[in-house]
Amino acid sequence: MLRFRENVTEYVGFDQASSEALREARPLVAPHFGPIIDDFYDTIEAHPDARAAITGGAAQIARLKQSLLKWIDELFTGPHDGEYFVRRARIGRIHVRISLPQVYMLTAMDRIRLRASDVLRDAPGVPPAALRRMLAALHQILDIELAIMLETYRDDLLAKNRTAERLATIGQFAAGIGHELRNPLGVVESSAFLVTKRLDQLQIDDPAIRRHLDKIALEVRRSNKTINDLLELARSKPLKRAVVDCRQFLLDTIPLAGLPPSVTVEVNVPPGLPLDADADQLARIITNLLINAGQAMPGGGRVQLDARREGATTVLRLADEGPGIADDLREQVFQALFTTKAKGSGLGLSLSRRIAEAHGGTISVEPSERGAAFRLAIPDSPQG
Amino acid sequence: MMRVLIVDDNLGLAENIAEILQFDGHSTDVAASAEEAMPKLAQLSPDVVITDYRLPGINGAEFLRKFRGDARHPHAVLISAYTDETTMNEAKSAGATFIAKPVDFQVLCRVVRNAEA
Repeated sequence: MLRFRENVTEYVGFDQASSEALREARPLVAPHFGPIIDDFYDTIEAHPDARAAITGGAAQIARLKQSLLKWIDELFTGPHDGEYFVRRARIGRIHVRISLPQVYMLTAMDRIRLRASDVLRDAPGVPPAALRRMLAALHQILDIELAIMLETYRDDLLAKNRTAERLATIGQFAAGIGHELRNPLGVVESSAFLVTKRLDQLQIDDPAIRRHLDKIALEVRRSNKTINDLLELARSKPLKRAVVDCRQFLLDTIPLAGLPPSVTVEVNVPPGLPLDADADQLARIITNLLINAGQAMPGGGRVQLDARREGATTVLRLADEGPGIADDLREQVFQALFTTKAKGSGLGLSLSRRIAEAHGGTISVEPSERGAAFRLAIPDSPQG
Repeated sequence: MMRVLIVDDNLGLAENIAEILQFDGHSTDVAASAEEAMPKLAQLSPDVVITDYRLPGINGAEFLRKFRGDARHPHAVLISAYTDETTMNEAKSAGATFIAKPVDFQVLCRVVRNAEA
């Protein structure tokens, strides 16, 4: 970090004089901090993808505005020492953590540059030489800030790559084990099936035996699903996309989740809404989400499935009435092998994300008053 | 009723499939590899051959292709955990019915029953 900072400050020519020019500019710009900050978040909120990073609603915006105020004040006040840049890197990390896409961060930062420059240019009675100094220093410091933020995004990307590599290794290993486990499971399953047949033949109808056979069958099915998920995670199947009727697709998919009768699914999707996807693969996401929703509501409840078009994207929303997902877990739930369930494999949602991303889409947890809400966005395929 | 030969190196599963089919009145035999199945083909002249894709030595699809040209060739069933297009096409080119793992035994029984027609 230290070397990086020294390199960048030297490169953009930021020195003691620049630092002083910024302090000189501060009283001129300070009365406009409020509008500049509002403009910054208005820019983010105006764009759906950028807005998606802010999930805590008005309360989060208020908090973020407070920290931006501090940030912008420090930008002009300094002191622009080593400590300063360490703090700035921490702020950059917040943006990475809320997954504000890099491109929107750049645009939003540019709003600050434009607005602050305008304010300085419009300030009455500033000698031209002083104005030039102040503007130059403002550009220099903002360039350094950008460099720090981009570096933070890069560090984050490298960390993600390392995780992905590690997961790929685990995935291959797990897939190998999965294959090996399938055979003994096949034997267990077929033996249970044979016992059922044999009992029928002997005309024995014993509820206790039946119950245990059902348990065996259920657990074998569950294990088979885990193995299938592992194998799917370990390899990427090419997509077979086609435009289907979203409502019909959902109605066909819901029974595959095998939800108990106490869980009802309400589909609020107009007929004729198109969905451009590999229906088989997308059905895996929907069944995973439905199974999770069912498990989150052991006493029963309602799942709401909505869909609408946003430009060239079909956006599905699935909301349940369970306990919901804590804010700090809303990214973690998509990590492979992460689970909050006693019997979860931690594969369902990571597989879902992988399928969504293969479609060029996204899946995320949305803030919700009650229960958990997932947003699945699937853009139309480029060719058509 | 049918004569069915089941080829799978997982003999536990092969024997269970055999037993399930016996419930339906079919006569069965098992082999652990294509190599072991070849002489049995000649001896038993089965009506149906069910084989796993993954076998020691040559795989299930290659094995099925070997007797596809025979005059009285049996009905072929290929079982596999791989449900990708390549495996499906291999089943097709071997003239086999494809069944995905984990095997749905009801489906398997129906396929064998229908092979009679």
